[in-house]
Formats: sequence, C-alpha cells, structure tokens
Amino acid sequence: MNSRRLLKLLGIIAITLLALFLRLRAVELLPIDYDEDDYLRAAQQFATAIQAGDWGAFTQLNYRTEHPPLTKIVNGLAIAPLPPAPEIPDLSTSAPPASSLPEPHWTVARLMEAAQSVVQVLILAFLNPLAALFLAINTWHIKYTSQVMLETLPSLTSLSTVAAYVKSNGKWNRWLLLSAIALGLTAASKYTYCIVAVAILVHWLWRQPRAGSQPFAKLKPLLIWGVIALVFFFAADPYLWPDPFNRLRDSLLYHTSYAQSEHVREAGYPMWQPLVWLAGSVPWHPGVFLISVDVLVSLLAFAGLQRFWQKQNVYALWFVVGLGFLLLWPTKWPQYILTLSVPVMLAAAEGFQSLIGEPLRDWLARVRANGIQIRRGRFSWQETRRALPWLAPGLATLLLITVFPLVFQTAVALTDLSTISLRDGLTGGVWRATWLGITGQQPPVHVGIGVDGRISVTVEVRDRGEVHLVPIAQSSLLAKEVHFAGLEWFTQIFSGIGADILVFDVMWTVLSILSQAAMGIGIALMLNKRGIRFRGMWQAIFILPWAIPEFVGILIWLHIFEPMNGWLALALGTPILWRQDSLLALCVLLIAALWLGWPFMMLAATAGLKMIPPEVYDAAAVDGAGRLDQFRFITWPLLLPLLGPALIIRAIFAFNQFYIFYVMSPPWPLFTFSTLSFLLLNSNTRLGGQYAFSAVVNVFTVIVLLALLLWFNRRTRIAEGVTYA
Amino acid sequence: MRRVPRWQQVAYQLVFVFVALFVLIPLWGMAQMAFDASIKGWPIDFRILPKEFTLAVFQQAWDKPAQSRSFLGLLQNSFIASGGAMVLSVVLGTSMAYAFARFRFPGRRTGLFALLFGTLLPPVALMTPLFLLLSALGVRTTLFGLVIVYTALAMPFCIWNMRAAFQAVPKELEDAAFIDGANVWTAFWNVTLPLALPSIAVAALVAFLAGYSEFAMAWLFIDSSDNVTLAMAISGMVGATGASWNLLAALSLLMAIPVVLVFLALQRYLMNRLLIGQVGE
Repeated sequence: MNSRRLLKLLGIIAITLLALFLRLRAVELLPIDYDEDDYLRAAQQFATAIQAGDWGAFTQLNYRTEHPPLTKIVNGLAIAPLPPAPEIPDLSTSAPPASSLPEPHWTVARLMEAAQSVVQVLILAFLNPLAALFLAINTWHIKYTSQVMLETLPSLTSLSTVAAYVKSNGKWNRWLLLSAIALGLTAASKYTYCIVAVAILVHWLWRQPRAGSQPFAKLKPLLIWGVIALVFFFAADPYLWPDPFNRLRDSLLYHTSYAQSEHVREAGYPMWQPLVWLAGSVPWHPGVFLISVDVLVSLLAFAGLQRFWQKQNVYALWFVVGLGFLLLWPTKWPQYILTLSVPVMLAAAEGFQSLIGEPLRDWLARVRANGIQIRRGRFSWQETRRALPWLAPGLATLLLITVFPLVFQTAVALTDLSTISLRDGLTGGVWRATWLGITGQQPPVHVGIGVDGRISVTVEVRDRGEVHLVPIAQSSLLAKEVHFAGLEWFTQIFSGIGADILVFDVMWTVLSILSQAAMGIGIALMLNKRGIRFRGMWQAIFILPWAIPEFVGILIWLHIFEPMNGWLALALGTPILWRQDSLLALCVLLIAALWLGWPFMMLAATAGLKMIPPEVYDAAAVDGAGRLDQFRFITWPLLLPLLGPALIIRAIFAFNQFYIFYVMSPPWPLFTFSTLSFLLLNSNTRLGGQYAFSAVVNVFTVIVLLALLLWFNRRTRIAEGVTYA
Repeated sequence: MRRVPRWQQVAYQLVFVFVALFVLIPLWGMAQMAFDASIKGWPIDFRILPKEFTLAVFQQAWDKPAQSRSFLGLLQNSFIASGGAMVLSVVLGTSMAYAFARFRFPGRRTGLFALLFGTLLPPVALMTPLFLLLSALGVRTTLFGLVIVYTALAMPFCIWNMRAAFQAVPKELEDAAFIDGANVWTAFWNVTLPLALPSIAVAALVAFLAGYSEFAMAWLFIDSSDNVTLAMAISGMVGATGASWNLLAALSLLMAIPVVLVFLALQRYLMNRLLIGQVGE
C-alpha cells in the first residue's frame, strides 16, 4: 500500500469518526421532534410482536400506514431486547411533539438511526471523501438521521442503489443485482427516495451505449433490475402481503391528499422553499451541531453545478430529478431535502475543487518548480513620480468617501450599534468598542436574530463569581453604549438566518438575467436580419425603457400591478393579491425587471453582431450550412464572448437591485440583500435602526461580490479589456 | 447572407408589433393619466383614454407639485445634488483616469480592479457608513451631504470609463506634442483631453443620472422640505395619502422626457462609448 492510499484511508476513517461524533452528540442533545413519538410507537409494536414470537402480526402492523414499514421494523428489532415500556399513545399527525418518551427505548432507536447514518457517510467517503466530509457536517443530515424518523435507512439504501448501479456499468452483474435489492429496500422504507430510480432510468436510456444492433438488448438488464427491485420491495413490506393493491394505493393516495391539506397550506412556504432549506443550516437547536457552515457548502455546490453536470453522471440526474420533484411537490417539510443530500455534497466537492483545490495545487506546483517569485519591474520610479500629482486629488477623495466608509462599516459590523446607542457610536463608541474587543479587554456580547428578524442583545455580567446573561434592553445605561459583538453576527448568518434571502437573491439574479438576455438577444437577431423593414423605427421604440429613468419605469409598473387600484386590477374588475402569493410576486417582479432591462441586452447584442464579419456567413453558406447551423456554429460562439462580461456585470446589478423592491414592496423574504440592508438602516420601518446588522449584511454582500468578481476575473479578465455601463 | 423571404418578413413584423405593445402599453397607461382631470388620488376605473382631457395637471405640476415647492425649485435641488456630484466625479476622476491610462506605477492593476469593484458595489453598501459619518460631521441633511453620497456612487464608474477613453488616444500624438515643446500638462490639455471629450461627456451624463433618479437614499438623509429633489418629491407622493396619480404621472413625464430625448439623440454614440471600449493592455 503506497502512502497516498494510506493517507486516503486515514482521511476516510477521520471523516467517519467525525460523522459518528456529531451524530452521537445530536442523539444526546436534540429535543423530541414532531412525529418521533409516532415512529417510536410503531417500532414498539413491532418489538412487542418480536418478543411474543408473533411473526404473523407483521402483516397487520404498520402504524402510520402511509409510510412503508421497513424503518419501523428495523427500529423494532433494535428495541426488542429491551424491557417493555407502556405504548406511546396514538395522537394526530399534526399534534405538537410529545413531552417525554420511554427510555432507554428512545435513545436506542436514535442510536440505531445514527449508526446507519454513519455507514452512509462511510460509503460516500469511498466514492468521494470531500463530499463525505460535507455530508458529515451537514446539519440537516445530522438532525434527521439522529432522530427516530424515517429518513436514515432510505438515505443509505438510495445511495447504495446509485453507487452499485454506477459500478455495474449498465451490464448484468452482481453490482446491478445489489442496486436492484437496494432500490427495493428504499421503496420499502420511504417512497420519495425512489427518485433515484427515475434518475437511473433516464441515465440508462440516454447515456448507456447501445449493446449491439438489437434495441431490446439494452433494455433486458433494465427489466430484470426492475423486477428484482419490485420483488424485494414486496418482500420487505409485509404489510402489503394480505391486500397488496389496495394497501399500496391507500398509502400513495394519502400523500397526494395530505399535500392539498390545510396543514400544509398553512405553513405558507414558497415553491422554492426546498432551496432555502438546502442553502442554510438548521435554524433551530443552537449549540447542538458545533459546525454549521452549510451556507458555504451550498455556495460551493452552486459554483460546482456546471462541472457536476458536465460529468453527466447519474448523480447529476439524481440532483435534477430530485430538485424538480421537490419544487413541484406542494409539501415542503425540511426533512424532504435529505433525498438530495448526496448529489448536493458531490456538487459542492466539485465546486471546492474548481474554486480552491485546483488553483491551490497549481500554485503549489509553480512554487515547487520556481520558488516564490515576486513580480517586479512593471513600473518605473520616474513614471510613478510623474503620476502622483495626477492621482493625488482623486485618490484622496476616494479614500475619504469610499474606502474609509467601508473600513468604518467593517468596524460597525463588529459591534451592536443601533438607534439607542447611536449617540455613543457617533462620538467614537464604535472605535472604542472595536478596539477593546480586538485587544481582548471586552468579551463579545451575544446577539440573537429571531426568525422574524427581531434582534436581542445579551451581555455577560459577572456577579460574585457567577456569570449571568443580561439582555441589554433591561438596562438603559447598557443599551446606550456600543458593545463589541465580534463575529457573532456572522456566525448567526452562517447558521441559517438569511438563507431565504440568499436563495431568493440568487434565484432572482439568474432568472432576471436569463429572461432579459433571451429576449434582448432574440430580438436583436431578428432585427438585424438582412432586409428587415422599419428597423430604425422599431429600434427607437424598443430602447425607450432603457432611456427612461429607472425610477419612473418602476412607477409605471407599480401603476399596472398595484393590487387594488392598479391598471390591471381595474381592467379585470377584481383585486390581484400578488403580494400574498410568493410565486405570483416573483413573476410580477420579473416582468417589471424584464421590461426595464431587456433593451440594454438588445443594444449590447446588436453591437456584438456588428462585429461578426459577414464573410463567415458566406463561407458557411458555401459549405452548405443551414440557418440553424449558422446560428449554432457561428453566431452564438462568436457572440457569447462579446456578451459575457456584459452579462456578468448586469447580473451583479440584478443581485444588487433595490429600487424595484422598494417601490413594489413584495412580501418578506422576497428581497435582495440590498433591500434588507436598507430596511435595517431606515429607522421608519419595523426592523429599522439596526445599524450594526445593516453593516453586517453589507459586509457580507461585499465579500460575496469580491469573491465572485475575483473568480470571474480569473476566467474572463473583464478588468482588463472591456468597459461597461 | 440571404434576404429574408416575404412570409418571414411578415412573421418578424408581427413579433415586433407584439414587443412594441409590451413596451408601449405600460408607458401609455401612465402617460394618459397626466391628461385626465377626473382622477383624484388613485384611479378608480379602467380607462385607455382620459375621461376629461385637460392640460391643467401640468400647470399644477409646474406651480406647486409637492412639498410646497415649485417644480423649478425641486429641479434646482436635483441639479445641485446630482450636478455637484457630476462635477466632482468628472473633474477629480479625469486626472485619475489619465494617470491610470498613461503611467505605470505600483498598485496599478490592483487599483483598476478596485475601481471596477467600486462600480459594482451596491449603493446601500456605502449608505450605512456614510449615513453615520455624515451624521457625525453634521452635514447629513444638507444638499452638500447628498453631493458627497452621489459622488461616492458615481466616481468609480467615471474613472473606469474615462480611463478607456484616454487609453484609446494614441500615445504617439502626445510624443509629437512633446517634440514641439509641450510639457505633460499642455500635452494633456491641448491634445488628449479634446480627443477624449466625448467619452468624458458620457461619463458625466451617467454620473448626473445616477443622482437625478435617486430617491430612497435621499429620503434617508434629507429631512427638510427645502432640500427635497424632484425624484424625492415624486417618490414621496407614491406612499402619501391624498396624492393624486394624475399629478404623479405629469411629474414623471416632466422628469423623464428630457432624459429620453437626450438618450434618443445620442443612442448610437452612447452605446459605443458605454459598451464596447475595447482597449488592449
């Protein structure tokens, strides 16, 4: 065994131990959650049957029949050797969590779950150690695989299904047999995890090479695979045996009617809520998870999506199919995202490789080859001396009105400055608090951000050797002073607060830039065809939204979409309550942004098209290229590099968009970070006057933008060649 | 490339008609209100044409539109705030842009990147600290405070854009001037600056517009009605009770029409300067 493999093995062991430690901690510390009482009761029933040797009861037992019984049976086996405890009462699904559960049964069942969870991390670690590390520290995965839920076993078996399928290479062998068995067990534990079967089917039909000339030769192993999966599903679900069709139908239909139920609708989650769960950490249970950097991992996953997809393996299809299902399915409970954990972690691993891993490796290789070289000789002292008088006035101004404010803002972000402590803050309190904090003379105060955005600040007060936590709002003397908060705000942001806004902001950026670019480029292509009539007139009309001041343009759309008295509401004769429906609100905002933004893209595309020499089209026509070929092989590849930087910069503008949100006032959390920061700053609003929090949001945005720009700059060198508005 | 066949011509023209409707209908919906005397507050019924045609709304908008200031008074404040920012960022920016285009000095690349970054910074990111700093200096609620805020927003873009213009002027022209006895300053003033003037004008226009249509930050900073700008006045009417939408529409038209005319007159030119300033390093 060489040292590389040994290192990898040690890494895998370390990751597995980390996963084990974090899950044991969660088993110990997590409070009783919704449904845990139900699934423990189901396990108790199986345990009683096992103790009595009454195996026939298995065909009749399955408390909460809407979910297949395999996980409940496994937990029943785990607690069967324990002394019996009184059965947990039967309560409705929507009842609040139980106040206590029988011990040690509860802990043993949780440990059973955690053990399977660690096995899943171990399997993933053999496929991709980095992804396994991300899975090991993922707070959602820790939470829902360390409680008595139904997620752990199907997580494990669905990963096994796909991993064995990949190993089989699409041929009939023992790996494919293993994949089929795992799929059967997945179906017998929880239905939603069966999306992996859809991903495998698509992959099989689309990607696997044809075996010989017979079309059915390709399908034969697939059919066997499906039949074996069905057999194992049936075998592992004894509840189905007496009356397979009706019981299966009932359990499936339950979910469709539950998805329409009042209980689900009351939760009021937007369609994209699964993305919000995926993007952040578990916002409840502070102090349980120790590491919560899920925001960073999901940003890595977003950055790695392209590479992940380009590898075009079945995991990418798993991600696409699963995400599509979660977006469309009306029930949006957080535990559902565990169906996607594995592909997301793999995408994050790709993102890590392309953003950090490979650049670091390249740099190390360069250093090893040449030693560290400091670039020099790019300037001359003589020119520097001559440049100074030209630079000085502008540089001084910029330092004063942009750089110094940004430094000050960073200092504010490390404190708890708000309206109450404003006077102290403006007379040097910010610098004092930051200095005391950084030099360690003052311990940081604790800031808490509620899910509704309300903020509480507590300070540690020592009294006769005991430490008390005192909310500063209790003492006007404390409240009027600025305190050092350290990185408390940032840990709060990383632990899931603001994930909803992050998801919306990114989604908004992508959708608005795509719609504007599609319309702008499309119209520019049509308008610039040879022999189009009235071209000048159309262009003059089309650029109107670009010429109108942005503010007036947004007012125009407010006039149309105002819910009660807007033009559209009056025309239809009925109020349009789009502010109550997040999907509708997104559409309204996107339409307004499209109107405002597409003319710029049209003009940019027109300018780009003019730079493509017409001769290439003549040459292509000689070669017999059709219209579609011309577009695909000439226009598009030549246009894209010209438009790329414009797209990036407009995307950043969209990410920072603020005025549309200010005027149209969509519901929380359909905001960009700019809007949030403004609301926190503006003391006329409910959230207003939280200067420190506002500064924190800004600092976060600045860091994200800086990282994005550095990344783009490396790829396209926008900072050198081209200028833009 | 072949000319498009007739049926395609018809199809394309149809598409253009639909797009033009998408562009123009919202505009018309706003504009027609400005000519309707019957609107008090929000419009209460759907109209495509004004119910009682009038020009009196514009008269009112001119005399006493909002915040008990005349239109010209509001416009004056707008011009002081955004014009001041324009002058500051262009004058200070020009010399800096020239330095970036002509001299090699340490930190030049980093500086360029920082300028681009400054251009792409969200306005709010500077607002929180500027709000606090200008409060501490006691100039937050004055028009001078607004000038500083708008300069901070516009200056990085101005420098970034003018640098490209200076770089496009061939260095040989300056060298020729040196041979004729010019120094750095006279060469800049007589040779480079006139050639780059069109781009400087565009940068100035963009800098001006950044402040001209800004209202949210301004409302945060300004609290006296004497210092209200035109955009602030209009945005203040949106939320206010009793504000009439025909007046709002008339003011919006008055605010937008000059800008639209300038853009239409300069469209080709603006696009070339703003978009494709391809300059090799």
